[in-house]
Amino acid sequence: MNTPTQSEVRQGISVARLRALWNDYLPYWFMTPMVLMMLLVTIFPGIYDLYLSLVHYDLSSPSTMGSFAGLSNFETAFVSGDAVHSFAITIAFVAGALVLETCLGFILAALVTGVRSERMQTFYRVTFILPMAVAPVSLATIFRIMLNTEVGVIPYLIQTYTPFVAPNFLSDIPLLTVITIDTWNWTPFMFIIFYAGLSSIPDTLVEASQVDGAPLWRRYVHVIIPYMKPVLFVAILIRLIDLLRTFGLVFSLTRGGPGSATKLVSINIFETGFKFVDLGVASAIAIVYLICIVALCNVLIAVIGFEGVWD
Amino acid sequence: MATTTDPKHPSRRFSKETRKQLAAIGRHTVLLIWSFIVLFPLYWIVSMSLKPPREAISLPPDWVFLPTVYNYIQLAAESSYVSAFVNSLVMVVSSVILVLLIGVPAAYILSRYDVPKQRDVLVWILSSRMLPPIAVVIPFFVIFRALNLYDTRIGMVLMYITINISLVVWVMKAFFDGIPETLEEAARVDGATHFQAFLRVTLPSAKPGIISVAIISFIFAWIELLFGLVLTNNRAVTVSMQVYQFIGVRQIEWSLLAAATTVIIIPVLLFVVAVNKYLAAGLSFGVVIKE
Repeated sequence: MNTPTQSEVRQGISVARLRALWNDYLPYWFMTPMVLMMLLVTIFPGIYDLYLSLVHYDLSSPSTMGSFAGLSNFETAFVSGDAVHSFAITIAFVAGALVLETCLGFILAALVTGVRSERMQTFYRVTFILPMAVAPVSLATIFRIMLNTEVGVIPYLIQTYTPFVAPNFLSDIPLLTVITIDTWNWTPFMFIIFYAGLSSIPDTLVEASQVDGAPLWRRYVHVIIPYMKPVLFVAILIRLIDLLRTFGLVFSLTRGGPGSATKLVSINIFETGFKFVDLGVASAIAIVYLICIVALCNVLIAVIGFEGVWD
Repeated sequence: MATTTDPKHPSRRFSKETRKQLAAIGRHTVLLIWSFIVLFPLYWIVSMSLKPPREAISLPPDWVFLPTVYNYIQLAAESSYVSAFVNSLVMVVSSVILVLLIGVPAAYILSRYDVPKQRDVLVWILSSRMLPPIAVVIPFFVIFRALNLYDTRIGMVLMYITINISLVVWVMKAFFDGIPETLEEAARVDGATHFQAFLRVTLPSAKPGIISVAIISFIFAWIELLFGLVLTNNRAVTVSMQVYQFIGVRQIEWSLLAAATTVIIIPVLLFVVAVNKYLAAGLSFGVVIKE
């Protein structure tokens, strides 16, 4: 019988030791990649944006590249530039879309929950979530075709079947058009979450209020909406965050125009940074935007509290 | 005139049954109108892609027409479109695999252990979603150029991981919370190591969650435009970017544009229909699951 050589013994020990290391510290191995990734995607961009906002980083003028700029980037953006205007546009866009999507989503979810036939309920549920699958750029294509003044079907239908004159949607009422298309795209998100929330309301709760003979609106105001509060808040919070991130849809629909009528903050940053290649000024706007969003989210999370939502 | 009166409430003009029926009719009317609003643009783009170019833009529209695959053949001949499509597919699929490898184990630990400051860790993870991509992309643009990651698939995969990591961790944590620990403990009593118990017992039970979160991650990466616009130039161009360029350059070829759009919508539509049950949990980061 062969006796194991010394090197084999050593190898055996080290493999066993490695295995022990792997098993004993499993939680650490499991967490480390995620933590590294999170550092990379949260801490790094924040700090780097801050750094860029404080130096001259205009790719078109290499002579000043990297020199300390103080607050001049902020001045360029907010005092002499149109950054303030883009913040106002963003607030109008986000508020309009959020209100429309929340109300529509809730009404649709309430209506679908009341549908008796299982089949029809599934049909509505699946149909209503479809718009969410459409990429912003495809959505922009679809509506640019449908709204086009020469070949578009929507102006054609309005002209032919209604007494109204069709406006040029993308140049006469651009912000309203953008809000409406975003509502088409994302009401499904509100719908599906409210639908899940409404379906999880215990039957006994609704039955009890029905026996009392409470009219429909009272049942909603006093029983259903209070019960749904955590779901409503979370849905609104997440939708708000996503609306503040909006870029693709508006950029490919209007490029921020006409003029700067739909120039959201994200489009303003993009143009400053990658069209006028001034990353310093772009970062200054980005930093202000970041601070606003993080502050807003923290206030909302503090007000809502996650009590009873996740644990 | 309606003659039936509700005996209990003489003031009401209709009986309870009639009122219920009226309510149902009203309900379905509203829901069907919304279904129409949802389906019409989708129908329009697909039908346009199936019409010959001249017919596609004729008004009044031809509601009845002979479908043709002419536009799709044209599209397949467009080598820039085809290569962007393949590019996107490769990058998005690899990013989904990687994000699962990173996120699922972390979610498991967050579910099973008393991680210090657990709530803060979870909010931190969620905060990566609060950062607007436009703010994130500037530092990455500078660093990618320095590291030669600009216009590479690896760079894009990295960016796609950043979009989805919070989603994967949150949804999978909720899923693992719902899987009883007892099975895993039994396996360990039988001599399995911690890792084996995770791999052979817990992971398979979490399969539905993993599949749905993978599909949702796929969708979010697939529809992304900004990262492609900023971080690629020609080698790693995405399909969204290609369609975006079609809008600018080939304004006139409406039916080709319709076909290009249809091709990138259809796979995602099918996915959404497939995971519609899990979608609420996925999109709201699992917070809706509390039963």
